Amino acid sequence: MIEYYAGAFTKEESLGCLNLFIRKWFESRYKELTPPQRYSLKLIHAKHNILITAPTGSGKTFSAFTTVLSELMNMSLQAKLEDKVYCIYVSPLRALNNDIYRNLTMPLEEIYRDITIPINRITVGIRTGDTTAAQRAQQLRKPPNILVTTPESLAILINSERFLPNLKDVKYLIIDELHELASNKRGVHLSLSVERLSSLIGHDFVRIGLGATLSPLENAARFLVGYSGGKERDCYIIDATWDKKLDFSVVCPVKDIVSAPDQIVENSVYNMIDRSIKANRTTLVFTNTRSGTERVVYNLAKRFKYGDEIAAHHGSLSRETRLGVEDLLKKGRLRCVVSSTSLELGVDIGTIDNVVLIGSPKSVSRAVQRIGRSGHSFNDVARGEVVATSRDDLIECTVMLDAARKRHLDTFTTPMNALDVLSQHIVGMTQNRQWAVDEAYEVIRNSYAYHELKREDFLSIVRYLAGMYVGLESRRVYGKIHYDEKSGMMQKTGIAKLIYYLNLGTIPDEVSVDVLTEQNQWIGSIQEEFLARLKTGDVFVLAGKPYRFEHSRVMKAYVTPAPEQIPTIPPWYSEQLPLAYELALEISRFRGEFAQEVGMSLKQNAAAYRAVFTRKDWSGSILEGMPMDNYARNSAFNYFAEQLLLSGVVPSEKLMLIERTHDDEGERNMVIFHALYGRRINDALSRIFAIMVADKYDVDVAVNISDNGFVLVTGADFELRRGDIERLMADLSNTDVEDLLKRNIKRTEMMKRRFRYCAARSFMILRNYKGYKISVRKQQVSAQILLKAVEDMDPDFPILKETYREILEDVMDLPRARRVIADLMEGTLKYRIIDSNVPSPFSHIMITFGESDVIMMADRRKHLRELHRQVLRKIKEMNK
Amino acid sequence: MKLDNDLEIVDGLPILYVRRLDAIVCSDLHLGYEGVMAERGYLLPKVNLKRIKRVIKQASEKTSATRMIIAGDIKNEFGKVHFEEYNEFRDLVDFVRLELGINAVTLVKGNHDNFVDRIRPGLGIEIFQSEALLEGILFFHGDGMPQTKGFGAMVMGHVHPAITLQTYIGVREKLHCFLYGKSRGGANVVVLPALNYFAQGVGVNMEDIGEMAPVFRSMINADSMRAIAVSDGETLDFGTIGQLRSLGEQ
Repeated sequence: MIEYYAGAFTKEESLGCLNLFIRKWFESRYKELTPPQRYSLKLIHAKHNILITAPTGSGKTFSAFTTVLSELMNMSLQAKLEDKVYCIYVSPLRALNNDIYRNLTMPLEEIYRDITIPINRITVGIRTGDTTAAQRAQQLRKPPNILVTTPESLAILINSERFLPNLKDVKYLIIDELHELASNKRGVHLSLSVERLSSLIGHDFVRIGLGATLSPLENAARFLVGYSGGKERDCYIIDATWDKKLDFSVVCPVKDIVSAPDQIVENSVYNMIDRSIKANRTTLVFTNTRSGTERVVYNLAKRFKYGDEIAAHHGSLSRETRLGVEDLLKKGRLRCVVSSTSLELGVDIGTIDNVVLIGSPKSVSRAVQRIGRSGHSFNDVARGEVVATSRDDLIECTVMLDAARKRHLDTFTTPMNALDVLSQHIVGMTQNRQWAVDEAYEVIRNSYAYHELKREDFLSIVRYLAGMYVGLESRRVYGKIHYDEKSGMMQKTGIAKLIYYLNLGTIPDEVSVDVLTEQNQWIGSIQEEFLARLKTGDVFVLAGKPYRFEHSRVMKAYVTPAPEQIPTIPPWYSEQLPLAYELALEISRFRGEFAQEVGMSLKQNAAAYRAVFTRKDWSGSILEGMPMDNYARNSAFNYFAEQLLLSGVVPSEKLMLIERTHDDEGERNMVIFHALYGRRINDALSRIFAIMVADKYDVDVAVNISDNGFVLVTGADFELRRGDIERLMADLSNTDVEDLLKRNIKRTEMMKRRFRYCAARSFMILRNYKGYKISVRKQQVSAQILLKAVEDMDPDFPILKETYREILEDVMDLPRARRVIADLMEGTLKYRIIDSNVPSPFSHIMITFGESDVIMMADRRKHLRELHRQVLRKIKEMNK
Repeated sequence: MKLDNDLEIVDGLPILYVRRLDAIVCSDLHLGYEGVMAERGYLLPKVNLKRIKRVIKQASEKTSATRMIIAGDIKNEFGKVHFEEYNEFRDLVDFVRLELGINAVTLVKGNHDNFVDRIRPGLGIEIFQSEALLEGILFFHGDGMPQTKGFGAMVMGHVHPAITLQTYIGVREKLHCFLYGKSRGGANVVVLPALNYFAQGVGVNMEDIGEMAPVFRSMINADSMRAIAVSDGETLDFGTIGQLRSLGEQ
């Protein structure tokens, strides 16, 4: 059973479980038990599975390790401690592993000073991709009692014939930063490794999950413990998230962010960060993207003459650089460190007394997590500021912090029955030994992420791996497994071992391309796939400014500044997270309520409304109690006033605004849907509309998708009229949208990218073959070849099926998109169509940012004839 | 689509019909591709030969040709004859001769066709080492320079020509195409699209095909060639490569 544990244990009850040496050491170091420790010491001692969520600095990790050390110490004193692994600690972050290693070896040193009799000492070892061959050999000779590792290295270890015997007596498994794993395929991959381990060693172990809070916690616990023989394993949940006090608010760099020129806003943002750094001892700045991090560090250094006292920290930096920065932080030598997201997780970085977020982190949980990095102990107040960089950002961050105060959290879902991850593990399992397929199926179903896996889906993957889909003789050689359908047995093939080691993992390869001006000044980076879509003359926004794309040369894109131009194509960053649904709804609700207030003010004082928004006294306004400064309140007011004055309507949770407009040159018609539901829902909604339009009118339709809504783009020849939109809305009521999407997802560009991801995860295309790295471009070409071939061969091919599943369930949020459509049909959500010559203020963000895709008309021959007509017309115009 | 009185694109197919020889012409089949890819770690379903047979059958039905000419690269591996290549080669020739009743099969060897002579015995096909002048029309693969002089028309493959196009709203298409035009010496020139199912095509309006095919360095001005796309049963004349190129640069 999964349940919250009520009632903490007393200090004596907790410490009474501990080995005397450990207890003595603990009491000499800490006066108090932290909130998680009041539960964990006793519960782990009693061998219960537990999930602990708490902010950083709450002694969360130690709440798990104290008991483990105590049990190992008991064994050591009884001379029962052997050279075996008793505890495995897994974290998604290598950086975290070094900390844990230090944090375990130091207390052990101190404890052993008190022990004079000769005993076997508890040993700790790290095993990651960075571990050298010599260290690995050493670990094989003398396995550490506590093994600190990553999900990928664990997957390799359980396939190591020589190391596996050392894992036979594992008693504890600790999974740290569980919130970073429970919602993605990396975590799903880990969950199968854990079930395989349990099956390989023939017994269960105590599972301990640590993380920041997430909702629903019950599902996070299920993800941690899984099932045993069809029965859910027991787990206690301890939620100590809210025991740390948070103090935060949104600050706006200028009095009115709506009318201030970009340059002024930018200057003020940097001045604010500088003031914040100078007013505190150590400041941690979060920027959301890696290029943003570089830009902020560069600007701070240039503008305020900072030297070595500020540093950058993000995933693209070398390991040495990152460790160096972490070390300087711990020693208190840095005034400021700027991070993309890499310091969000629990790396030990010493005492931070101030956190600055530039731009929205897109989810309440993330905001809480980041701000929680300040203040050393759980008794301190965590302080943070969120600097709004645009008007939409300002509204989003304000509502986000307000939601954090009310403890409203975003929900997560675990990818279920992912067939690509499953492929990897079946290859791994056959490397271990021969399996009857049904026996393997039972092991796999112990994972929460596969508990409902259909047997036929499982078998389809077995057949796929055996290469049964290719009519080649050589599949017996080149298949990833052997499968004998008659006996139902599967076993390894010779070539699969190396493929498994070199291609294991779930994170797709991506390549970023530097963007430079013709004078070779670096502006930022874009993804290779985005570059592939750019044509000369396209305008896109990078680092807050529009640029015109000129040409590209070997992994470099050259641009010229294009101030004041409306972008023709939105840039897209896969590292940018989608806005959480719950937060999106709260923003919509806020829009509705605040628009009413602003509308009233405008009525009272329409002529001189500019005087209204510079007020200092906000009593009576709904902004009064919101976590924001007065500049932010002024700006919010003005933003809403402009939208009302220019278009007469503010979209809200009860009203979807649909805006018909076009670009400057009149080459593209646009219909902008103000649908603030977050990108996952808009990913579905936008394509549903686009497919319907493409099919009904036989046109190609492009979409821009963002958190705040989506845009349907058509060429100059076709315009959706008011009546067309109304008819579309009416057609929605008798359309099976899920079926519509499923049938047409193959017409999208997204399909190509996602198929590459899934094909790589299922070893259908390889990232590394016989030791040679295969470039992303080559992978993409192979993926396209394969996609075409398997689509022709079998529309239900398992890897195709997984691609559809990933798109419909992980990328999109179809159930909620259907809810939005139902609301539209029932009339609880109304829509209003307006025509505007210039896109309204609320729509700017949807044109300048987001992911783009194209849905082509279904009739291929007609599409080609249309393309032909367009090209010939353009050639004619060119020759005039 | 008729190119002139003698040469004709079989509508919607990557196949040329030559009236004077009553022959269908194709190139770049790369048989055995899936077997070769398996050795590189990719298990592809076997679809190439199936599709090639379908296309040739359609062309045969439309033209009732009595002869088939392959302008090079019937197979894929450079260094050897892979057993999948051998099987598929035999399978295709049997199909063309026995099922379609096209008895005269001519192969002009391409750069991938090393050692095909070893397969020939028993197949009854005619093989030319690098070029064949048949009734005034020169057939050669295109990887080198033709040695024969005095031909009125030239048919080649090797380039895998395709055009890359993009619309205002960002639809991107790559379409396999024929190239048709005149050499500097005044001969008619046809470059055949690849018949291989997996071929990606080389964007002739984006890249310099002179790097692949030396005839485009001296004998023929690539930009003067017309690109005629064949895809999904459509045959569409997109005008010259030069114009398509400047359209992309606008």
